[in-house]
Amino acid sequence: MLSVENLTVCYGQMKALRDVSIEISAGQMVALIGANGSGKTTLLNAISGLVPIEEGKITWEEQSLKGLPPDKVCSKGIIQVPEGRKLFPAMTVEENLMMGAYHPNVRKQVQESLQKVFSTFPRLADRRRQFAGSLSGGEQQMVALGRALMAKPRLLMLDEPSLGLSPKAAAEIFDIIRGLNKEGMTILLVSQEVMQTLAITTYGYVLENGDLVLQDDCKCLQEDPKVKTSYLGM
Amino acid sequence: MDAVLIFQSLISGIMMGMVYALLGVGFSLTWGVMHVINISHGAFGLLGAYAAYSLLQYFGVDPVASAAMSVPVLFLMACGLYQLLIRPISRAKNVVMASMILTFGLAIILENIMALIWKADPRVLTPTYSSGALIVGPFYFQYPHLVGFGLSLVGITVLYLFLKKTYTGMAVRAAWQQPEAARLYGVNLFQISMITFALAVSTAGAGGICLALLNSFEPHSHNLWLIYLFLVVIVGGVGNVIGTALAGLIIGVITGLSMAFLPFQWVNLVTFGLLMVFLIFRPHGIFKQEGV
Repeated sequence: MLSVENLTVCYGQMKALRDVSIEISAGQMVALIGANGSGKTTLLNAISGLVPIEEGKITWEEQSLKGLPPDKVCSKGIIQVPEGRKLFPAMTVEENLMMGAYHPNVRKQVQESLQKVFSTFPRLADRRRQFAGSLSGGEQQMVALGRALMAKPRLLMLDEPSLGLSPKAAAEIFDIIRGLNKEGMTILLVSQEVMQTLAITTYGYVLENGDLVLQDDCKCLQEDPKVKTSYLGM
Repeated sequence: MDAVLIFQSLISGIMMGMVYALLGVGFSLTWGVMHVINISHGAFGLLGAYAAYSLLQYFGVDPVASAAMSVPVLFLMACGLYQLLIRPISRAKNVVMASMILTFGLAIILENIMALIWKADPRVLTPTYSSGALIVGPFYFQYPHLVGFGLSLVGITVLYLFLKKTYTGMAVRAAWQQPEAARLYGVNLFQISMITFALAVSTAGAGGICLALLNSFEPHSHNLWLIYLFLVVIVGGVGNVIGTALAGLIIGVITGLSMAFLPFQWVNLVTFGLLMVFLIFRPHGIFKQEGV
């Protein structure tokens, strides 16, 4: 479905990603793990078209995404939930969700999609008229997820969805993500919660300082001595 | 002090303030959404005023009709200007600074074009009703002031509803609050910036016509208008339409009262003093909420 081949991304002189290749097939839930600054967010932003590609290819269903601006990538159903949620703080919950369905392809079904999101996250229905900036972290993450669902994603890329949340709220978010994948949604999950992430994903990639250092089935990754020492603290 | 005089100057202050507000909202939007401080904003207002002047002089077109016509014309013109001048500087390291220098140059060009066409003499908009007034008890309201006020109120309301109720308006607010997320969900920032700039310039034109109904104007009047624009936006908060409107009213009332009770030469001192006080103590404006 999506394949990234030999991708290199630079910020000025610094190489943020070097020769990285990943593959995601339809219906799969793939994990991308690595320490802070290892290039996980850069990889998502390169796919989304937010940062320019130096070398390499990104292919989505036989079409190249190279050079496409973010709004064009979004129209293909590749939707990112950015790190730190990046909600529109002075817009209401409902307006934030509606912005998710901004693209003309999905705008017609905005009312239907809203009902669906409100049934997935009943708490957001109660808060629909509140400003997104006034919600708790867990609720904000729900808005961020809801906004992404409004865009009818075919590939959902989640960047640190549990960052800054209480363990309870994080578990809730992970449950929802797993549910979405069970319904058939293809997901790329970036997270520092390595244990939880590997428990729900099928295949994983490990980034280190911009290099892809490891990739395997998640079951094997959980047993991998390197992963254990570096990320699980065992 | 005379209660009638206070009330009268309060009312004229509110009318003037509404006009400042209409002139100010566009200035505030380009600043907030695009990080472009449009020094030529007032000059576009003046262009609207001069266009209305000529249309009235030669074709007998009422300023209200001129305002309605100037909006689409200026909108299209501004779209072209955006593509030609503003879009290229969005890649600059310091967009704010680049935009100020660029639009300062644009303001000088516009000012001289206007001086060339309309000469440097002060002009006034004198529609047929210009000498009439509505008299209510001890108070009187000049018709041109009422029309300018009404037009400004309509302009601001339309702009507010556009930002609040339409998808494009929502995208303008989203692009201001969180541009990266807006892009991830399908917003083309260049397109939204163009619309924002065009809206700002066309509301400036309408605002200029309203202001011309209240005051006389000449090719360099936009420099003084610009100070009021900064004041309105700084008091109201950058990018905040309702805040800008309220700030316009507040500043209008303060100017109105100082015009009534202070010697003429003190009025600008009060306004500019207010600007400094705000810049020092509340540079983000008096209102908390942003981005509406």
